[in-house]
Amino acid sequence: MEKKRWIGKRDLWLLVILLAAGGIGMLILFLRPDTVDGEVEIAVSGTIVETLPLSEDTRLVISGANDGENILVIEDGKAYMESASCPDGICVRHTPISKDGESIICLPNQVVVTVRGGEKRDVDAVA
Amino acid sequence: MKGRLGKGLAALAAGMVLLSGCASGKAPERFTESFVGLFDTASTVTGYAESEQDFSNQMTRYEELLSEYDRLYDIYNDYDGINNLKTVNDQAGKAPVKVDQRIIDLLQFGKDVCTLSDGRVNICFGSVLSIWHDYREAGLEDPAAAELPPQQALEAAAKHTNIDDLVIDEPSGTVYLADAEMQLDVGAIAKGYSAQRAAEKLSEEYDINAVFSIGGNVTAVGWKEEKEENPWVIGVENPDGGDYLMTVSVPAGMSLVTSGDYQRYYTVDGKSYHHIISPDTLYPAEYLRAVSVLASDSGLADALSTALFLMTPEQGKQLIDSMDGVEAVWVTDDGVFQSDGFSQYIR
Repeated sequence: MEKKRWIGKRDLWLLVILLAAGGIGMLILFLRPDTVDGEVEIAVSGTIVETLPLSEDTRLVISGANDGENILVIEDGKAYMESASCPDGICVRHTPISKDGESIICLPNQVVVTVRGGEKRDVDAVA
Repeated sequence: MKGRLGKGLAALAAGMVLLSGCASGKAPERFTESFVGLFDTASTVTGYAESEQDFSNQMTRYEELLSEYDRLYDIYNDYDGINNLKTVNDQAGKAPVKVDQRIIDLLQFGKDVCTLSDGRVNICFGSVLSIWHDYREAGLEDPAAAELPPQQALEAAAKHTNIDDLVIDEPSGTVYLADAEMQLDVGAIAKGYSAQRAAEKLSEEYDINAVFSIGGNVTAVGWKEEKEENPWVIGVENPDGGDYLMTVSVPAGMSLVTSGDYQRYYTVDGKSYHHIISPDTLYPAEYLRAVSVLASDSGLADALSTALFLMTPEQGKQLIDSMDGVEAVWVTDDGVFQSDGFSQYIR
């Protein structure tokens, strides 16, 4: 009789503790802001040359293909191309990017800047 | 008792693991890959796969397939061991060129599109387009010295654009330009046509759930998150930049393609001149700012977006209404118009 009760009480406590621990763990997993993970990946001619966190303001000079040069700025959690040596300037006119999968591409210099992780993007592609 | 409780705890633990999704490994992951260099544009693919390696394998294969088309349809570069459209152009007025079946298929499609668009989209317009191309490139390189092509040169080139002079000999697999001054330019159809064929081929080899954007030519294969009937969300670019004009639901097997005055242009004396040239004026068409076409074939969507850009919205709506399973949305200085069936796709 006594032995049975002893097991019951301890097991119950164990159960409560486990449940609480599991609950807290899941809460942390679900509530963790996605933005913590946002990174900017910079590739030239298909090769990744640099990966930078979106959370740190910075200014990076990228040596592109054909002796081209792009200047990338990360500011307030967003990345944009400040200037480019190429004639068309399409990448410079591109709106700042901050969401997972968004990219700015400079065709002449073969520079691809992509956001990895972070906030979810609201579209899958742009036409 | 001890045994039962132990089992209960084990079941609880297992349940928590399942809930957190750690042990299942079934939920497909989302990946994005971009590449440059094909069809003189930037491409981005977003899709779902079991693993990053799986997705990467699919993308390597897709790039390979697409680059085969790119080389065949290239009018600017030669490649060792293949006859491409540049070879055909170089042999204009001289001799028929033996070509890959994929070239024959594209050129036949080009002839169909010419008929469909009442001559507006003409793959034999290369002589005129190459003049604009050269002036645009020069103008981008040195904006201060940017110039417009002389009208006389454009008119002289326009005399050599008769599509009947494109002679396709299917049985012998040859193509011949009977007019020595004529040049092919498949810019209005090749990107979409190739994106469609490459995606179809890829689907034969892999289970694909992805959306392919080849320079704004968007093709949906399979469903978002691999969930049946879950369409992809595609943003339509605003010609003036900034926020999307609208977002559109694109189901599996459909393509959305936009032609716009903001895509490729150069500036002369403060005025922009884009790349879609009217066969009537030999100058950039000015009916629209942009037009997007939704169709089940990305080659057709690509061709139609150019065709619609070269006509008034009224003429365009008539054309779209006469076709099955094709919808469009027009952007003009006066506002945004759409075909009757387009609204069901707007989110």
